[in-house]
Amino acid sequence: MRYRGATAVALLIAWLALVPGPATPADAPPEITLTIENNRFTPEEIKVKAGVAFVLVVVNKDKAAEEFESKDLRIEKVIPGGKTIRLKVPALKAGSYSFVGEYHEKTAKGRIIAE
Amino acid sequence: MGAAFLITLREAFEAALLLGLVYTYLDKIHAREQFHWVTLGGVLGLVASVAMGVAVGFLSGPLLDLGPDLIGATVVFLAVILLTWHAWWMQQHSRGIRGQIEERIDRARTTQRLWIVGLIAFTGVFREGAETVVFLWGIMAEATSVAGWGSLLAGVAGVATAALLGWAIFHGGKSLSLPTFFTITTVLILFLAAGLFSTGLGRLQSLGVLPMMAPLWDTSWLLSDRSVVGSFLAGLVGYRARPSLIEVTGYIAYLVGAGYLVLGGALHPAPSARAAREPAASRSR
Repeated sequence: MRYRGATAVALLIAWLALVPGPATPADAPPEITLTIENNRFTPEEIKVKAGVAFVLVVVNKDKAAEEFESKDLRIEKVIPGGKTIRLKVPALKAGSYSFVGEYHEKTAKGRIIAE
Repeated sequence: MGAAFLITLREAFEAALLLGLVYTYLDKIHAREQFHWVTLGGVLGLVASVAMGVAVGFLSGPLLDLGPDLIGATVVFLAVILLTWHAWWMQQHSRGIRGQIEERIDRARTTQRLWIVGLIAFTGVFREGAETVVFLWGIMAEATSVAGWGSLLAGVAGVATAALLGWAIFHGGKSLSLPTFFTITTVLILFLAAGLFSTGLGRLQSLGVLPMMAPLWDTSWLLSDRSVVGSFLAGLVGYRARPSLIEVTGYIAYLVGAGYLVLGGALHPAPSARAAREPAASRSR
């Protein structure tokens, strides 16, 4: 049983080693501001350059907390009311990545378009 | 209002499921006197959730940007390890010991460190707990109108419904035979942990530790992970509508690796079970 455990761990490590590490970050990634007000995002469509990491500055102007959630980007981040959060977004392949405000899903939605 | 109910139900679902399973496990091995481990773990998880929920309200800057994500990723991987460990133990007891049911129960009680189930309860509650706290806190701030109070009630009802679900598992699980319960729970836990493992890998991708990649496939037209069914499947077996290569290989690698570790001994149970049992028995608490 010990050996089997060791084999499983070794396989896991070997697999992790095969995955390439993160790219070296650019000196100052561009910043894009996304504002939450009255349970809506502004702007609702964000255009970014494909292949370039950026920082999404999410400003929550509402009193209530919001959760910035993007299944496409694997981001789930609570932004308390009146707070600002800086989300580092890794370089994206060209495509459309949707996001929603989980707590007000009907109104708070948008997408990032990488091109 | 309906949205608030669904959100808290979804957040509390996994915690209720895990609490239900570990309480039933203790009941099954006649260790009800050890219930306090699970209760303690659950309460500490709740306290940690409230503390973190309050903390994110006060924090700002890099601590708020990164802190909760790092804690979140750590808790996910910790939960995967604990669940795998627990599944492994259950299999040792359900299969390896060939004697009477009483003997199996006795073995389980004396050899497993039962505080592990307390830790499982802690990670289960804490994982989504802080988010639920912040959410409920937020709608409390809005609860000046009738609709606001309705949302708050709906949110609380969501948590209560999840708790009821956990209780139903406890009630239903009691009537199953011990080996059946162990087998079902083991399989359920392996899928749940595989889903958690791939969630953790996704978090590492969004943190930039692992590279971001395009989705391998897209089944959101069939079952969106934003839908009710999709989000429950996501919590239960780790369903993703647009998974990345890393998440898919991680999921499969975990299932194969942990499945082999936990269930593999079924092919030649006697020697491996004995080997694993004896050193463990000498360490019993």
